[in-house]
Amino acid sequence: MNQEVTIIGGGLAGCEAAYQIAKQGIKVKLYEMKPTKFSEAHSNENLAEIVCSNSFKSNLHTNACGLLKEELRLLDSLLIKCADETSVPAGQALAVDREEFAKLVTKKIKENPNIEIINQEYTGEGLCIGNSEERIVNGEKYENIMIVATGPLTSDTLAKNISRLTGEDRLYFYDAAAPIVSKESIDMNIAFYRKPL
Amino acid sequence: MPFTGNRYDQERGKEEEIEDWEKRLGSQEASYINLPMNKEEYETFYKELVSAEVVTLHEFEKREIFEGCMPIEIMAKRGEDTLRFGPLKPVGFTDPRTTRRPYAVVQLRQDDVNGTIYNLVGFQTNLKYGEQKRVFSHIPGLANAEFVKYGVMHRNTYINSSELLDNTYCLKKNPNIYFAGQITGVEGYVESISSGMVVGLNVVNKLQGKEKIEFPKNTMIGALANYIATPNEKFQPMNANFGILPELGERIKDKKVKYGKLADRAIEALNAIK
Ligand SMILES: Cc1cc2nc3c(=O)[nH]c(=O)nc-3n(C[C@H](O)[C@H](O)[C@H](O)COP(=O)(O)OP(=O)(O)OC[C@H]3O[C@@H](n4cnc5c(N)ncnc54)[C@H](O)[C@@H]3O)c2cc1C
Ligand SMILES: Cc1cc2nc3c(=O)[nH]c(=O)nc-3n(C[C@H](O)[C@H](O)[C@H](O)COP(=O)(O)OP(=O)(O)OC[C@H]3O[C@@H](n4cnc5c(N)ncnc54)[C@H](O)[C@@H]3O)c2cc1C
Repeated sequence: MNQEVTIIGGGLAGCEAAYQIAKQGIKVKLYEMKPTKFSEAHSNENLAEIVCSNSFKSNLHTNACGLLKEELRLLDSLLIKCADETSVPAGQALAVDREEFAKLVTKKIKENPNIEIINQEYTGEGLCIGNSEERIVNGEKYENIMIVATGPLTSDTLAKNISRLTGEDRLYFYDAAAPIVSKESIDMNIAFYRKPL
Repeated sequence: MPFTGNRYDQERGKEEEIEDWEKRLGSQEASYINLPMNKEEYETFYKELVSAEVVTLHEFEKREIFEGCMPIEIMAKRGEDTLRFGPLKPVGFTDPRTTRRPYAVVQLRQDDVNGTIYNLVGFQTNLKYGEQKRVFSHIPGLANAEFVKYGVMHRNTYINSSELLDNTYCLKKNPNIYFAGQITGVEGYVESISSGMVVGLNVVNKLQGKEKIEFPKNTMIGALANYIATPNEKFQPMNANFGILPELGERIKDKKVKYGKLADRAIEALNAIK
């Protein structure tokens, strides 16, 4: 079977997925709308642009995000490897030189022979539920797999088409979240826990 | 200080015997934890809340952000009692400690299936992270609260994964479409990378005709994938935190020791499937 995967969005998630797939000899088409179009927070031509803080948080084993990074290293994550290689001193945290980090990821993706970068906005008109298309090209069957990794600032047209795909009320544009605390840190003064009076 | 149970079922009925009421409360599910405030506690909290420092939003965020949902500090500024008639309304509650209606009540709602993390109902906020910790610690019962996630209000496009995706970030309705990154409701740089990893590995397996890879729930990468794929009426983005891992079989007081054990267990589980 002739295989090809389309990835939309060359950010952190899209680049990691592209690398993992290409590594197994599978062809990847990676759509990235920059530099033809930028979101309100992106400003740089590189893939895997870090838009805000340059910290990937703690590296400690006893920190949840530190553990996640440790797991990702075990799984041969390209992005965490690039972060490690471009890190700047930040105590227990993994902070990166954001410019160097994005440049390195871009280089690794660009030089991968299985990945083709297409600098174009994908608008998603063709997105649909139902049977996936299988294309026959030169007698070979293509199975079209698509990964949408367009991030928190997904372009408007694509967002509209995603909400068409998923159902209008299942796509959110704003996050207005209340804080969350762990139960064990709440002072459950025993006398009143489930035992009135 | 806190007591559990839903706002609508807490109050003692006029005819109800104390014993019956007690029994009824005792049998209520623990999906809400209620933190009663007296007048003095409320006033202290209120003063801190209205004078706390807030985050300056990006221009593009300001345009639409408050349309559907008002930050608690803005609501509070409308008047000293506004919160007591809104999200902190004490009506329907009887404080088991005093058997009287509290002056105000903060409700915490269970946020994960394990019941290890709770969100502060109605507390969406733009306070700076440090300020959230400082101000919300004035709420009785939260003096030493550990915030696994701070409140935020910002532009963020994400789908309702809890309904739409399976635990490999694959669209249930179309197995050839996957989502990865912040758009799935994972929150943060490393979390976005971790979802890209899960998707990448699964797409490879799918194309090679192999089984899908469901990471164990006791790994952080697996816990996140499972969190976002678990049905949840109030689905909200989530970052990596120990609260989403299944608990250890033993009770360990020291947090560092506990987290160390959870982390060891995760790495072991991951090595076992590699
Ligand atoms: C302003 C802001 C600040 C943040 N700060 C932090 C922080 O400090 N720490 C943290 O951990 N997380 C932060 N986040 C959250 C999140 O971790 C990052 O946004 C992260 O980059 C998400 O990774 P991603 O791969 O999902 O998306 P992104 O890294 O944003 O990648 C998506 C890519 O898709 C492209 N794209 C979008 N639409 C299309 C389209 N239709 N066609 C083709 N390409 C498209 C974009 O140009 C972009 O390159 C922040 C988010 C924002 C918006
Ligand atoms: C879509 C999005 C997703 C993000 N995801 C993450 C994440 O997963 N992990 C992470 O560490 N950071 C994330 N950030 C960035 C985060 O908001 C902070 O910028 C960062 O954590 C540094 O915080 P601070 O306490 O040093 O800064 P502060 O001095 O507290 O604030 C500086 C900046 O923090 C941001 N900020 C802080 N509190 C809030 C809030 N309640 N609502 C909105 N913005 C706030 C604002 O961008 C502000 O300009 C995200 C930002 C956005 C826009």
